[in-house]
Amino acid sequence: MTTASNLLAFLGLVVTLLIVWRQSWPARLRLFVAQSLLLAALAGTIGVLAHRRGLLLVAAVFVVVKGWVIPRVLARIGSGEPVRPVAPGRSSGLVLLGTGGLVVAAYVIMLPVTSAVELPTEGAIPLAFAMALIGLLLCVTGRDALGHILGFLVFENGIFGLAILATYGLPGIVEAGVFLDVLVIVLIMEAVVVEVRREHDSIDVDRLRELRG
Amino acid sequence: MLEALLAIPLVGAVLLWRAGGRVATTLHALTAGLTLVTAIAVGVEVNRGDALVALGGFLRADALSAWMISLIGIVGALAASEAPRYLAHTTPARFYPLFHLFVFTMLLAVSTDDVGLMWVAVEGTTLASVFLVNFERTRASLEASYKYLLICSVGIAIAFLGTVLVYFAGIQQFGDEAHALRWTTLMRLAPGLAPRVIELAFVFLVVGYGTKAGLAPMHTWLPDAHSEAPAPVSALMSGVLLSVGVYAILRFKPAVDVAAGPGFARSILLALGLLSLAVAAAFLWTSPNYKRMLAYSSVEHIGLVCLGLGFGGALGTAGALLHIANHALAKSVVFLLAGRIRAAYGSAEIAAVGGLMRRMPRTGAPFLAAMLALVGLPPFGLFVSEVMIFAAGFTQGFPGVAGVALVLLVFAFAGLLRGAHAILYGTPPREPAAEVPGWRPVLPVAAALLLLLLTGLAWPPGLTDALDRVVAIVVP
Repeated sequence: MTTASNLLAFLGLVVTLLIVWRQSWPARLRLFVAQSLLLAALAGTIGVLAHRRGLLLVAAVFVVVKGWVIPRVLARIGSGEPVRPVAPGRSSGLVLLGTGGLVVAAYVIMLPVTSAVELPTEGAIPLAFAMALIGLLLCVTGRDALGHILGFLVFENGIFGLAILATYGLPGIVEAGVFLDVLVIVLIMEAVVVEVRREHDSIDVDRLRELRG
Repeated sequence: MLEALLAIPLVGAVLLWRAGGRVATTLHALTAGLTLVTAIAVGVEVNRGDALVALGGFLRADALSAWMISLIGIVGALAASEAPRYLAHTTPARFYPLFHLFVFTMLLAVSTDDVGLMWVAVEGTTLASVFLVNFERTRASLEASYKYLLICSVGIAIAFLGTVLVYFAGIQQFGDEAHALRWTTLMRLAPGLAPRVIELAFVFLVVGYGTKAGLAPMHTWLPDAHSEAPAPVSALMSGVLLSVGVYAILRFKPAVDVAAGPGFARSILLALGLLSLAVAAAFLWTSPNYKRMLAYSSVEHIGLVCLGLGFGGALGTAGALLHIANHALAKSVVFLLAGRIRAAYGSAEIAAVGGLMRRMPRTGAPFLAAMLALVGLPPFGLFVSEVMIFAAGFTQGFPGVAGVALVLLVFAFAGLLRGAHAILYGTPPREPAAEVPGWRPVLPVAAALLLLLLTGLAWPPGLTDALDRVVAIVVP
């Protein structure tokens, strides 16, 4: 179980780094799907190896919600946006360097958790947390609504991974509530972005600067 | 009874989804009225006997829940009474159902025993209210709702991380404890939980739920959302939504105090409380918009509540909880009146408003009273609760923190009064529309002010007892 969870979480982190690196929206969306599928595989693997039936169901729902429904909505949101040219002078190098720092930070912050117990999956916990932190960074530095939503979803995925690795699955009602919440957030986001686009002819958040002080 | 409390606003919201015209207004009034009556009944029932439990322990209302439930009922009814007046000038599309859905999510958050479900409900408050913030569909309100949704969703996801870690600590120590996410279980397990893990979890929980509570530096969504939302929604958000965030933190605090020692939560709450006070004191002076000014005043008062909880002890905790109630009453009154002012003057800029006392006396007089209450002057309740909080600060051994807070409070006091003065007196650049005739609009506002006088001058029977019961839960 240790090998499997470490490998899957590591691959998830690599995909997350690729999301930071890539600039084109379709590529990032495909990477997000890949990350979601990896996490679903993680949940499924732990479900099988630790004999948790519930996790298999969670993995299945995760594939449907994060691997199919939400990417479709995201594609719909992104379809009106012209493919942004890779802006010169803003390379992802610096951000990538920052993510390196975040991975180290993730290991430090998660020390109390990883040292508290002997779990076969404990090695992967900081990796999942690093995913969450990188998602947060993406969300904060995102230049348009799509960047914000993607960052938020990567963040959410990281927390999901951490929850699976640390607890082998939360109580069903909470798990269901989380899925429902994420789905509704994305749908509301879509509605809001549609409005933003109608008002401003763009989803560039630099134009949202009415409210100050 | 708890089932009824939650079913009423939910059923009301569902029915209101298709209703229109007169039917909608009547149904809205009926739903709000029934919610108020049930909420008060729950409050009385819990304070007479034991905690109410329903749905196999899933729903549970102890004295702390009952305190919040009564408050949500009262502020909900107050805001609901203003809604038809607000909607008279616009199309009421979906306002009523979302309003009651919003109330439902808040009631659910404070009346469940499961901290996981509490998390879902707190997230639900954002989802239910985001369209209400953007109800007027202007550029500014759109921006406000976007920020609100994004910042609060991220915040609440951080709180989820905290909840996961609490659950992790629980099952690590005690194996697969059934209901390890139940608050009652958590309190039972607390002495054995790994302190380092619980500390880490509490940091995430405070950042997460603190975002919802509007604590600085996570408050940035608050002035936008509060100032752009329709007046009844601002009243609900400022009056009770912020306190629901505080409530969520409060649920975890006793367990953290037991597992990690009382100093940890205290230092975090004191630091955030002071920071919120400082941010609010600065922005109360610079806000050109009176609804924004009122929003910053909410940051100030939530900061004070945090200080009270941080100082702790029976006095500090009781003061903080009483302050939550007092602030809820005063702030919802002020926001409702601000809505009327904005409707009459056609602007939310302080510079565009003036001479309120003379031009709209039936709005101006209660506005003055509520503002005086809000800055913490006697004979209103906020004076009493602020004295309790600061007395706790000085007696519990934090004279430094309390002293700095007092200085900041004076700054905030002056800033808010300056704004109020500009609104109430002088000559406006443009004459306002005529005030709504008759005394009916004054009644709900007067009732709330009367309650504030009661908490300030003569505590009604049962209040001391209710506060004692709440304190016994937070500081066991």
